Amino acid sequence: MRILIVEDEPDLLASLAQALREEGYAVDTAANGNDGLFNAEGTDYDAIVLDVMLPGLDGWEILKRLRKTKKTPVLMLTARDQTRDRVKGLDTGADDYVVKPFDLEEIFARLRALIRRSANKTTNLLEIGEVKIDTAARNVFFKDKPVELTAREYSLVEFMALHRGEVVTRTQLYEHLFDENESSLSNLLDVHVSNVRKKLGAEFIVTRRGHGYCIE
Amino acid sequence: MKIFKSIKWRLQLWYGLILVVVLAGFGFTAYQLERGKMYRQIDNELMRRVGGIANALGPPPHDHNAGEPAFDRPPPGQRPDDGPPDNNLRPVREFHLPPEMAGLFDPNDSYNFYFIINSPDGRELARSTNAPEVKTWVDTRKGDALFQPQPNFLHSTTVQSVGKHRDIIQTLPRGEMIRVGCTIAPALKEFHLLIFKLTGVGAVILFLGLVGGGWLVSRLLKPISSISATALKISAGDLSRRINVAETESELGQLAAVLNSTFARLETAFAQQQQFTADAAHELRTPVSVILTQTQTALNREREAGDYKQTVEACQRAAQRMRKLIESLLALARFDAGQEVLKRLPFDFSKTISDCAELVQPLAAERGVKIVSEMSPLQVTGDSERLAQVVTNLLTNAIQYNRPSGEVRVKLESQSGLAVLTVADTGRGIAAEDLSRVFERFYRADKSRTGTGSAGLGLSICKAIVTAHGGTIEAASAAGSGTTFIIRLPASR
Repeated sequence: MRILIVEDEPDLLASLAQALREEGYAVDTAANGNDGLFNAEGTDYDAIVLDVMLPGLDGWEILKRLRKTKKTPVLMLTARDQTRDRVKGLDTGADDYVVKPFDLEEIFARLRALIRRSANKTTNLLEIGEVKIDTAARNVFFKDKPVELTAREYSLVEFMALHRGEVVTRTQLYEHLFDENESSLSNLLDVHVSNVRKKLGAEFIVTRRGHGYCIE
Repeated sequence: MKIFKSIKWRLQLWYGLILVVVLAGFGFTAYQLERGKMYRQIDNELMRRVGGIANALGPPPHDHNAGEPAFDRPPPGQRPDDGPPDNNLRPVREFHLPPEMAGLFDPNDSYNFYFIINSPDGRELARSTNAPEVKTWVDTRKGDALFQPQPNFLHSTTVQSVGKHRDIIQTLPRGEMIRVGCTIAPALKEFHLLIFKLTGVGAVILFLGLVGGGWLVSRLLKPISSISATALKISAGDLSRRINVAETESELGQLAAVLNSTFARLETAFAQQQQFTADAAHELRTPVSVILTQTQTALNREREAGDYKQTVEACQRAAQRMRKLIESLLALARFDAGQEVLKRLPFDFSKTISDCAELVQPLAAERGVKIVSEMSPLQVTGDSERLAQVVTNLLTNAIQYNRPSGEVRVKLESQSGLAVLTVADTGRGIAAEDLSRVFERFYRADKSRTGTGSAGLGLSICKAIVTAHGGTIEAASAAGSGTTFIIRLPASR
């Protein structure tokens, strides 16, 4: 899962990015509105955390422009907590709204919910054959036994599971699993896929030659 | 008693009291006039009869004046001699009521007129059949002396009311006493009826007056109750309400208009206060968010010492930012409340300014901005530290909002008793719509500068300080040609 954070307060941006990375997300950051909009338009993020008060374009403007091209789930961060601000945010196309100061746990939960909803899932539990994925606890069970996965492997499984039945291209996987700072060595993805197959069964991820991967 | 505190009831009470007094006075006067008139009528009737009897008794023997009323002349046949009269020794005269006077003493008349005639020595000469027993001749003069005794004619006349009788006792010159009386019971009955009628009419008038007055008072006080109803709603928190000023001409209309303008000012002040509080809270939210996310992230798992250090440093920055904000807010609050104590000492303003310029020199150097100053020593009375804060703030702004390798021109001059400080930058200027608002609290002309730690209170504080010194501060700008701040302070002589 790849997330963009647009926030102008450097200390807040740094700790948010670190916390989300530690949650297993690939995180891109932008410290002003113009960079934020550029990133948001150029990459298919799974979710965007967007501050309202920004240098350059403000959060409302970014949202308005982004909505012309993309339906990426957006979580607005703001210091304004009056009802009209919330209404404005939701009406402009924000998917959720968090008022500063917030707890990290709340941001995590809201992001999970946003991503789940955008994949048209209603619960945190995904079941694929004998594999069960709890997206809230970030646990994977195979034949009812917990399976140890690295953060990157878990992200791969979760992303594929949320797009079950679709063919996911390698580019897509790179976009959603790695952030802009990681060098996307082409064989790194193959290593992750083969590790997941070892742990969850060889048929769990099917390779579509020339297209990508798929969970059926 | 709550009822006596109500204007309406107090008005009613006074109104009712005045009405009662007026009605009572009116009724009493009417009663008195009517009573006097009635006694006069009765007394006239009595006098008529007294005259008749005196006439019937005949003239005094002494009286030869033909012009005198004949009734004092005794009938010739009853006169035993024509000798000189001696009142005391006069023989008793017979008295027979002349037939033409019988109608005057008709016992069937409701007034029941009667007479008693006594001789000078006290013997009763004659009495009508209906005359009451009179034990003594009342000699008091309590009664209404309606008739003055007339010399040569009447010796004395006494009018008296005894019980339900009214008598006139006439003493003739010769000594006979004629007492004519009547019962005044019918008159008294009429009086009582009159009192009853007057009381009844008075009560009706009082009732109508109170009802009408109450209606009038309610009508007059209606705007007051509408004013108080509106005021009640406003005091309950709905500051947007206004009194409906239907009649601006009356005193109440003017009151309502005054109240409305007061409410409007209250609402504005309240809205400003609310905005200020919201802005202050808003400014505090970001540093608190930093501290929360930093610490929560750090505590999520075991960290290296270096990571903890970074977290603590970030928290410190956030705390510093909050401290700065709180200090600014407190300073503004003190200036607002007039609690800020300013030193009032004369000092060289140009020296303060060059100190400030030196202080911001590193920042200017970093941005490649040149500070050009043109000053001569000028004494100003005030708080040099506070004014230095103003100058530093203006210089910092002028550097920060300048273009790279721009210029900040500082000029201090004396103009008609004022110390005029001009700080001009060569930045991109402030748009006209922002210019009028730069001194507003939390107002940032450049909305993008949210992450710089500046809360938008600097210029508000500058203005508060300059105003507290009795000076003025203003901003002028033309887009693209920089911004100029001008401070005018009273110079000390």
